[in-house]
Amino acid sequence: MPLARAEEDIVLEAGLRVAVLALLALVAALVLEWPSLVPVPLVLLGGLYGVQLAVDDASLDSGAALFAAGALVTAELAYWSLEERERVQAEPGDGFRRLAFAALLAIGALVVAGLMLALVDRVGAGGLAVDLVGAAAAAAALIAVVWAARSRDART
Amino acid sequence: MRRTRSPRLGGYGALAAIGLVAALALRRPELAIVAAPFALVLAGGTALARDPGVELELTLATDRTVELAEVEAELIVSTTRAIDRLELLLDLPPGIETVDGADALAVRLRAGEERVIPLRLRATRWGVYEVGAVEARARDPFRLVVWETRFARVQTLKAYPRVDFVSRTVPPFETQANTGSEVARVKGDGIEYADIRDYVPGDRVRAINWRASARRGDLVVNERHPERNTDVVLFVDSFTDVRGEGRSTLDDAVRATATLASRYLERRDRVGLIAFGGILRWLRPGMGHWQRVMLIETLLETGIEPTYTWREVSSIPARILPPKALVFAITPLVDSRFVTAVEDLCGRGFDLVVLEVDPVGFVEPGRSEVAGLAYRLWILERETLRARLEGLGVGVARWGDGVSLEAALEEVRTYRRNARLARV
Repeated sequence: MPLARAEEDIVLEAGLRVAVLALLALVAALVLEWPSLVPVPLVLLGGLYGVQLAVDDASLDSGAALFAAGALVTAELAYWSLEERERVQAEPGDGFRRLAFAALLAIGALVVAGLMLALVDRVGAGGLAVDLVGAAAAAAALIAVVWAARSRDART
Repeated sequence: MRRTRSPRLGGYGALAAIGLVAALALRRPELAIVAAPFALVLAGGTALARDPGVELELTLATDRTVELAEVEAELIVSTTRAIDRLELLLDLPPGIETVDGADALAVRLRAGEERVIPLRLRATRWGVYEVGAVEARARDPFRLVVWETRFARVQTLKAYPRVDFVSRTVPPFETQANTGSEVARVKGDGIEYADIRDYVPGDRVRAINWRASARRGDLVVNERHPERNTDVVLFVDSFTDVRGEGRSTLDDAVRATATLASRYLERRDRVGLIAFGGILRWLRPGMGHWQRVMLIETLLETGIEPTYTWREVSSIPARILPPKALVFAITPLVDSRFVTAVEDLCGRGFDLVVLEVDPVGFVEPGRSEVAGLAYRLWILERETLRARLEGLGVGVARWGDGVSLEAALEEVRTYRRNARLARV
């Protein structure tokens, strides 16, 4: 998406380099069976997308929902691929079930991102107050995730 | 069950955090929107993840089998909560494998479901195995959290050595007093014709050979060989084990011992066992099915126990080596302590046969000139040893690659026939 939108050659070239780097990182993660490397290509592509949006100073990008769904499906398929490296004899239909789950996740991501886009577009607010609310939401989400993970560990 | 995080949890957490922070830094809500699905999957996945409460048991249909024979087993899995994917890894000991080769499987279970998974196991080698350890790994639908545990309710499985077919055994020079299947060299009541002699008062009328009597004009009677049993002592070398690709001389020696024991016991002979090595094990000669079971159970305990102590034949209790017994030494002829014991037994007048489990096939000659020379010298040394034993009147049967046990025994039978004639 960011590459398709590039208008200048220098931007396109830089974008291509980052995309190739992201692809190499993904291939390395899969070949070396190193799951910690899976987020790297997504961060690179996300960074490219974000930088391009910031530089262009474009209005709200409606393609963000597609990007979100694509990123989630890419991550999901990469982790699934790594899990399948183990020689485990699964029940018939296990692969199709997992594929359907990934497709559902993609649809869910598309719907959630679409709703958020609509909400942002509708509200259209900005300024320090919104930034603070956003930061607080981000921090709260992270704290909630960390707390949930730790509390489960303690219970077990 | 032990709860651990899957790599997804860290990865999605990092992506969500980086996305949200980048959105704030670059002041672009799109990046927060991209991060939102990851954060939602994390929140939903961790909130829904619960200990599945898996119970597991592996049961075997039998506790005794023969190597390479299939053993039916059942893996009973139950859970209190639904599991999207439960991976089960059978932690089988070396020597036990699944027939279809898959030792890891994955199932999906509903809440409260109990699943019976049939399995077919096989022992590739004789021995005593502890079977039943299973590692279970359950994943939630989002695959963010992993629960792992190990069930170690083990059962003992005894795999008896397989018995090869041998049509004839090596007959001993001397027989015992009890009735058996071996035609004795002495004359007496029996079936096999031996000779005729003049009638003496007291001879049974039915022993008279009327045709010969008519020819001679005087009464003559038939003499016969009685059928007697024999005492056989299987003398197994457990000092050394030469291992190759999936095979070893000790494994083969135990199989040969089981084969010989079964064959001799079928003939109503008394069979005893001595495992001569780091640990001395023995079984007094006996006969019947129970003796076979005892003998194989003793064989299963046979292993290589490293020792540097010199062990002599005198350390074997006398009642284990009865007089006139045929001693069957089953050895790779590698350890000098066992070779000395064989020579010692020969010197004590025991009827001795050596079944050599040939280790040459397990040893690769080295590539260097010196290594090749050492290999050839070793082969030559073995030939010398064999010749020395044969010089003592001990029949040596070489059993190795391409030679069946039957053929090896036939070789030693032929040698003993000639040796007996030479002795006369």
